[in-house]
Amino acid sequence: MSAPELVKVTIDERTVEVPKGTGMVETAAAAGVEIPVFCYEPRLGPPVGACRMCLVEVEGMPKLQAGCTLTAQDGMVVRTARTSRQAAQGQNATLEFILVNHPLDCPVCDKGGECPLQDLTFRYGPGNTRMTFPKRTFEKPIPISPLIALDRERCILCYRCTRFSENVAEDGQLVAINRGAQSIIATFEDEPYKGHFSGNVTEICPVGALTSTQYRFEARPWEIQNVPTVCGLCPVGCNVSATTREGKVKRVMSRNHPEVDEGWLCDKGRFAYSHLDAPDRIATPLRKAGPRRFEELSWDDALDAVEAALRRGGTSTVTALSGAESVEDAYALGKLLRQGLGANGAVLPEEIPDGVDGYRAPLSALRSAKTIAVLCDEPVVERAPIVDLWLRAAKRAGARITYTRPDGPVDALVTDRPHLGAQAENVYFLPRTPNGRGVADAWSAAGEGEERDEKPRVLVISGDEAATDEAVRAMAAEAEVVIGIGLFQSSFRGIADLVIPGQSYLERDGTTVNLEGRLQRQRRAVMAPCPDTLAFVAKLAERFDVELSPYTSVVFDEVAARCFGGIAFAEVGETAALPTRAERVAPGPAPAQGPDPGSGLRLVAYKPLFSGVAVERTPELQFQRPDAEVQLAPGDAKARGIRNGQTVTVSSNGTSLELRARIARDLAAGAVRIAREHAGDLHPTVEVRP
Amino acid sequence: MPAEIDEIVLGDATTSYSEYGGYQALAKARAMSPAEVTDELIASELRGRGGAFFPTGRKWSFVPSKEQIPKPHYLVVNADESEPGSFKDNEILSRVPHRFIEGCLITAHAMDCSHVFVYIRGEYSGPYEILVNALEEVPKDVFGGVTIVVHRGAGAYICGEETALIESLEGNRGQPRSKPPFPAISGLYASPTVVNNVETITTVAPIIAMGAAEYVKLGVPNTRGTRVVSISGNVVNGGNYEIVPGTTLRELIYGPGGGIPDGRDLKAVVPGGSSTVILTKDEIDVGYDFDSLAQYRTAMGSAGIVVLDDRCCIVQLGVRFSEFYEHESCGKCTPCREGTRWLTAILRKLEDGRATQADLDLLLDVCDRINGKCLCPLGDSDAIIVASYVAKFREEFQAHIDQGGCPFGGHSSLDGVLAPVAMHSHSPVAEVPA
Amino acid sequence: MSLYERIQEERAKYPPESRSAVMPALRLAQEEHGWLSPEVIREVADALEETPAYVHSIASFYDQYHLAPVGEHVIEVCTNVSCAVVGAQQVLEGFERECGCHAGETSADGKFTVRAIECLGGCGWGTIVAIDEHYRTHVKPGDVPSIVEELKHAG
Repeated sequence: MSAPELVKVTIDERTVEVPKGTGMVETAAAAGVEIPVFCYEPRLGPPVGACRMCLVEVEGMPKLQAGCTLTAQDGMVVRTARTSRQAAQGQNATLEFILVNHPLDCPVCDKGGECPLQDLTFRYGPGNTRMTFPKRTFEKPIPISPLIALDRERCILCYRCTRFSENVAEDGQLVAINRGAQSIIATFEDEPYKGHFSGNVTEICPVGALTSTQYRFEARPWEIQNVPTVCGLCPVGCNVSATTREGKVKRVMSRNHPEVDEGWLCDKGRFAYSHLDAPDRIATPLRKAGPRRFEELSWDDALDAVEAALRRGGTSTVTALSGAESVEDAYALGKLLRQGLGANGAVLPEEIPDGVDGYRAPLSALRSAKTIAVLCDEPVVERAPIVDLWLRAAKRAGARITYTRPDGPVDALVTDRPHLGAQAENVYFLPRTPNGRGVADAWSAAGEGEERDEKPRVLVISGDEAATDEAVRAMAAEAEVVIGIGLFQSSFRGIADLVIPGQSYLERDGTTVNLEGRLQRQRRAVMAPCPDTLAFVAKLAERFDVELSPYTSVVFDEVAARCFGGIAFAEVGETAALPTRAERVAPGPAPAQGPDPGSGLRLVAYKPLFSGVAVERTPELQFQRPDAEVQLAPGDAKARGIRNGQTVTVSSNGTSLELRARIARDLAAGAVRIAREHAGDLHPTVEVRP
Repeated sequence: MPAEIDEIVLGDATTSYSEYGGYQALAKARAMSPAEVTDELIASELRGRGGAFFPTGRKWSFVPSKEQIPKPHYLVVNADESEPGSFKDNEILSRVPHRFIEGCLITAHAMDCSHVFVYIRGEYSGPYEILVNALEEVPKDVFGGVTIVVHRGAGAYICGEETALIESLEGNRGQPRSKPPFPAISGLYASPTVVNNVETITTVAPIIAMGAAEYVKLGVPNTRGTRVVSISGNVVNGGNYEIVPGTTLRELIYGPGGGIPDGRDLKAVVPGGSSTVILTKDEIDVGYDFDSLAQYRTAMGSAGIVVLDDRCCIVQLGVRFSEFYEHESCGKCTPCREGTRWLTAILRKLEDGRATQADLDLLLDVCDRINGKCLCPLGDSDAIIVASYVAKFREEFQAHIDQGGCPFGGHSSLDGVLAPVAMHSHSPVAEVPA
Repeated sequence: MSLYERIQEERAKYPPESRSAVMPALRLAQEEHGWLSPEVIREVADALEETPAYVHSIASFYDQYHLAPVGEHVIEVCTNVSCAVVGAQQVLEGFERECGCHAGETSADGKFTVRAIECLGGCGWGTIVAIDEHYRTHVKPGDVPSIVEELKHAG
């Protein structure tokens, strides 16, 4: 690619050189000049020039121009409000018009103190008001969902939120209705803004019009701390900022990693943090005291009891991992059990394919892909939500996206070639668990040997996700002793004999590996109600003569030397880099696909994003659970005379369900999708009839 | 009264395909290369009749070749005529639909395009039916592979602005886009697009038929050919008249317009649709052409001449037009959305006799703060015309302040007029009264 | 043909994946149901494979889509300047009187909806009144009773 042509632009008498076509807001920034904006947000698509806050004077143009829609051309001379009286008058006018209907309720507004409108009014706005007519008033605040409150009086109609809904999430849920001065932001009727990414609108709103109901009246900007960390709820690993006040997480905001999340965050990552304070949270060790009852145990007694159990199990101990552990916690557990007991048996959360590191690429590379093959039956958004946004961005940029049945048990996205294989450009593996890759690496680095007792005497269940997995629970029923590590009593009740309290990703230091293979650092935002699992495991390790540090950084160094090229803990950084691509290895033959369903349709009963232990403990997220619908590919719907929105009968051997049909364009022909909770007892092959 | 003035009256028979006599200009154009047709249009000096007066041939010439941008080309005809005072396209479509269709097909040939969309304003049920029937009359082979889709609007003045029209046609809210990119490069479906007004397109066939060299002999410099003007308001013979520029506004009002009825005196004239700067009765000897009107800082616009007699209160005129712009503001950009509403409120305060001297200053300052700051011309228009009313009828505004009320005492021709904006909101989800 | 099928016909006139058919679809739905109730908006959204919020956003932008029930006959009186200076307000008031409802409302018997409307594009032939979308020109206040009478008998 040739180097971009550089052009000279003069802004407020400072000349800068930028690539031709650079936006004027960025060009000015390069010259050290701020052009204030409200509606401008490059992540929302092309600039729209709506708010008129960015008006500048351009030599040779009679009228003021919107800076956000101007691009750098050679010899351009631009004056902002700093040096142009006309531009200053324009900006002052815009602010006066914006404030005509904006209430003066900053002291009780959640945005106060971190509000762009407040800041810009101080700097550019009129000092008084000349508007003597009644301001527009609305019923307020309106809950546009259990998560988001809308204050229409504060809204300045910059359309950032509706552009997000239309151009980024493409969910068509949050829209402007009416026209002119009557325009308002709304959802349809009284329906909630249901969508995987709705919470982003609270972050991009430049005023206090869209606010989080969870954060409402919870804190002021001067009494909070923001902890830079990484979300631990799905394999994307979005970079986030956890806002804390007085030792509690009050909100989670995105923290733009341009290669991973571009500053977007799904609603699970944003809102599910309230699981930290769930009523059934475990703070002290527990021992089974009856079929459905636990009793509390002191930490010393717990150490003794777990030690005794592990000695009883010996090599006949199997560990079931969740894939939600940190690399360090998984390694520590592995080292204790494998080196201390010789218990190498593990149930890993998922199969990790070999060789994908040779096709490694940042998620952001999806945007420039020409073709993308999605080899995954489940909706990508339910598995790795942000990847769905990258796919949509790629499609808007002109990529051709195909949806085909996965080649084997592994789900992936492949760019520029239709199938997994040496010809593929980039391959993105789509794991089911947040840190499945890191946990697998850590476990394998912790010891040698592979044998596993199919009927172990002792089962160690690491994490609530493993404890709620049907296969793991079946194993637990057979084991003599079950030791659990986790957050919630109900995950372990009835199956575990001993439970050690665990920590959420927001309560621990450690690292995690996302679906790209990017090693990222999670930081402790708040203290857990219990000591670190790592400290407890280190104490146990002492009793088995295994050398294990209770400090994350020390444990990390040990793992990193084996798995991550010896990178230092401090080097992982707040915005982690993607490791360079590994050497490519020839892929093995594609595993045979399952049996052809014949004339019927293949049922994909998917696990929705809004499910699992954290979501179950966040009441505000319940409305996000999937609709009772069956998704069909357009051709399959047409062949059966099924209309979008129609109620249809889905049936398989002896069982049938009535569901609403939705024509889905992100689905391979021959498959139908139903969320697991709506799929009832349907068999893997179904038929759908109007 | 110049001999060329030809009155066209609604209700006259529509020209049928057989009466129209075949599409001979189209045949002539198709014998030429697309570039030659465009050159002919450039030579004709035809300028856009929608209001912006942009040279039509040059607009066509901006469309890049399919090698440069490998996408379909689109011709979009702006039949969303909604400017108060303008009703010519209504009658053109009703009277000479085949001349219009022929113009579409010649233009499609000139721009190497096979898809034409006619965006017709939703209220024009009559012209819509005539146009659809006319399209059915045309033998299939005449289309030469070009499809013409008639897309009906649904009541939004802003969709007459070309980028708002494109947005609306794409199924979005009809809100203008910021330019660049210009439609010629990235218009409908992000493809090269020409947007032309109905009258412009209807003029294409005669230009090709008679030849640019003949056409350009008509009219005066910068305003060539003929033009259909709409005359309305306080005149004896309201209607559309096709004129050859070179006449004065006075000649139009007292000639084909038949003068002022009921023995009243002329007070003011809005020369080119509601968005143009008003002229007083002393300014109507101006030639009705681009250059002459520019000397009065006004324009032919969409050629809608609104004649106002001495019963018209200019403050009420401001209120009513400002209510129109407030109602029709799309709501996208701040100064228009908030400013038009504020202007209406101040004007109403003046009309009601509640205003002080400071309010009149504020009115002009708000005009100044809207003008030149908006995304499209809608908000600017409101500011410009209201400022022109104050500039030319200041004593009347002053009288409202000094007398504490309207000097017409309820006898203005615009007294008590109910505007839609004051009547209902667009949707049941309305604001709570303050 | 069902509304769903007619909407598919409209969709076929525009490029695939475009949303251009939303306006013709809303017009068809309004012709069939009289007004665009939330249920009708949902029906249109399903037929277009779009969300009801999107369809409502479009419908509410334009003046001609009825988002509330209207009478059997919709009477729209242009009250912009060209019509107003030749008596549009008196014509509007005439309809209010004869139909028994205020502008912006529907008569108690559900027969008439009377509205003031922005310029209808017939300025030289004022007052313009659109009755069920068809124009009457040169309407004078004195014409109103006979027009209303005619509509009452037209059913």
